[in-house]
Amino acid sequence: MSIGPGLDTLRGLCRSGGLMAVLVAYTVYSALPFVWVGTMSVRTTSEISADHYAWPSTFHWSKFKVAWADSNFDQYFMNSTIVVVTAVLLVTLIGAAAAHCLSRYRFRGNRLIYFVLFSSIIFPPQIILISLFQVLVEYDLYNTRLGLIMVYIGLQLPLTVYLLEGFFARIPQDLFDAAKIDGYSDLEIFVRLVLPIGMPAVATAMILNFIMLWNEFLFAVVLIADEDLRTLPVGIQRFMGDYFQDIGMIATGMMISIIPVLIVYAFFSEKLIQGMTAGAVK
Amino acid sequence: MATVQLEEICKRYSGASELAVDTVNLEVADGEFMVLLGPSGCGKSTTLRMIAGLETISSGSLSIDARVVNDVSAKDRDIAMVFQSYALYPHMSVADNLAFGLRRRRIPKSEIDRRVNEAADLLGLSDLLKRKPHALSGGQRQRVALGRAMVREPKVFLFDEPLSNLDAALRVNMRNELVKLQRRLGTTMIYVTHDQIEAMTMGQRICIMNNGRVVQVGKPLDIYHDPADLFVARFLGSPPMNVLEVGIERSDHRLVAKVAGRRIALTRWNNGPFANSQAKVAALGIRPEDIELTDVAQLNDADAAILPATVLAVEPLGAETMLVVDVPESGEMIARLHRDVSVRPGDAVGLRFDPDAVLLFDAETTRAIPPQGSTREEIP
Repeated sequence: MSIGPGLDTLRGLCRSGGLMAVLVAYTVYSALPFVWVGTMSVRTTSEISADHYAWPSTFHWSKFKVAWADSNFDQYFMNSTIVVVTAVLLVTLIGAAAAHCLSRYRFRGNRLIYFVLFSSIIFPPQIILISLFQVLVEYDLYNTRLGLIMVYIGLQLPLTVYLLEGFFARIPQDLFDAAKIDGYSDLEIFVRLVLPIGMPAVATAMILNFIMLWNEFLFAVVLIADEDLRTLPVGIQRFMGDYFQDIGMIATGMMISIIPVLIVYAFFSEKLIQGMTAGAVK
Repeated sequence: MATVQLEEICKRYSGASELAVDTVNLEVADGEFMVLLGPSGCGKSTTLRMIAGLETISSGSLSIDARVVNDVSAKDRDIAMVFQSYALYPHMSVADNLAFGLRRRRIPKSEIDRRVNEAADLLGLSDLLKRKPHALSGGQRQRVALGRAMVREPKVFLFDEPLSNLDAALRVNMRNELVKLQRRLGTTMIYVTHDQIEAMTMGQRICIMNNGRVVQVGKPLDIYHDPADLFVARFLGSPPMNVLEVGIERSDHRLVAKVAGRRIALTRWNNGPFANSQAKVAALGIRPEDIELTDVAQLNDADAAILPATVLAVEPLGAETMLVVDVPESGEMIARLHRDVSVRPGDAVGLRFDPDAVLLFDAETTRAIPPQGSTREEIP
């Protein structure tokens, strides 16, 4: 009996120590490539060729200025911001409205619409690429930011509806009844009750959509041809020549492009976790 | 203030074969506290939601203040409702929760403030106005829900089991406060509950529902003493009424019930039903509090209203003692006795009861068989 607690502590230590080791290993595994790109972003391509993994001997911060001003990154950044922010705002609004309807109103075909929408998640987006290209050309939307925004909205809509529908469905019906008796219309209830109460889930959807679209490459590269309309991920590709790849500049561009994602994540990660676990607790 | 009248109200949910609410007729008087009581699934909440305008009415007519409101939307019926879950808007402060309904109605801000403060004063919420619902206790949330209904100054208050989420002590407290509030406001209130104690203590009248139908409407004690059928008899009262199957016999112009080898004289029914002398079966109801213990030797008196029994369990509750007994050929009965009882399980005892306190029910229809002079109104 007397050794019981000591043994328990030892076991506890081993268990938490083991857990810690796994966490550290995973963190190193995920962080190292990032750190590597980080170091490359302040080294020149010739330095990198000489020694791939060396720590920067001199930090070439000026590379960021060159990339930003001389390599058109300011334009790419602007394009990405316009396209992604617009798409995220619209897809969240449309998705939330759809999710609210699907979760709250009983109508014929409700589950069918949900199923069709949800099943589109499982198909790889590449299979619609060629037909989408054709459609955009047909409607003069090819090589426009508006066209890309519309594609992004369609691309992220199923995930958004899926995320929000589950959350909205858990809002008690009594709240809607109370608001109805208080005199509010269906649209007002959506704006004044559903959106604020569902804010953790809405924020989660916005953050996920932002991160996914900010990094989106495939549709951007196919549907935008004009140099001045390119988004960041496509812009980075410009440094990849046929015979020469400016690895150092690519790394710098990457670091620039992930800054917004980092900021979004740093400020909203709490909201993100809140939204993802909200259903589990309550 | 207003009257509420339900005429032939039915509710059928799409796809359901049976009616959820079946031909309900009910008139709630101006300023009355009416309780809809029944087990879960009896249609009482559906009835309330139809009055609120949250459910469509399949057939029948609903009038508030003599105006038919079947097709009037919830917001235009001038009613307020308190929900079981309170339904407070979680993202708004208490003050905003109270004012939310008034703002929509374009009531001037000064008037909104006046009403919110008045309700907050009355309900003891003045210090909590800036808090969010999640920072309130169950009782406080309940008050906010009540306040939200009050500030609207509606014609009719509707309550859907508003106390069932509170703990026992708070429930008794809120019960009294609600009754006081009703007296003070004098507004018509319709209150749904499955708790018979709430119904008995709060309702000026009770409407008992079962299987979507109204079984009985009346003042609480009238219903308790004179239930319309076996369901009501068993539903009201805790522990529930004892029901024994008895054989009915007429001899020498007297009506007697044969049970456990005894013949109990049913003097109140002497000149009533069972006119022919043929033996019949009926259900005899005895309230647990109408029973007292007596010596087994008393059983020698063949005509006394005493039943032989064996004690199965003794449950002392402090103020009183519940005795579970087994009556031969009739099964278990419960007696509610004075606190000092010296019997133990296994003892043979006699159960004496006042033959004028028993009730008689038709064994087939389960309807009460009224004694002579009964004035209870029958519900068709």
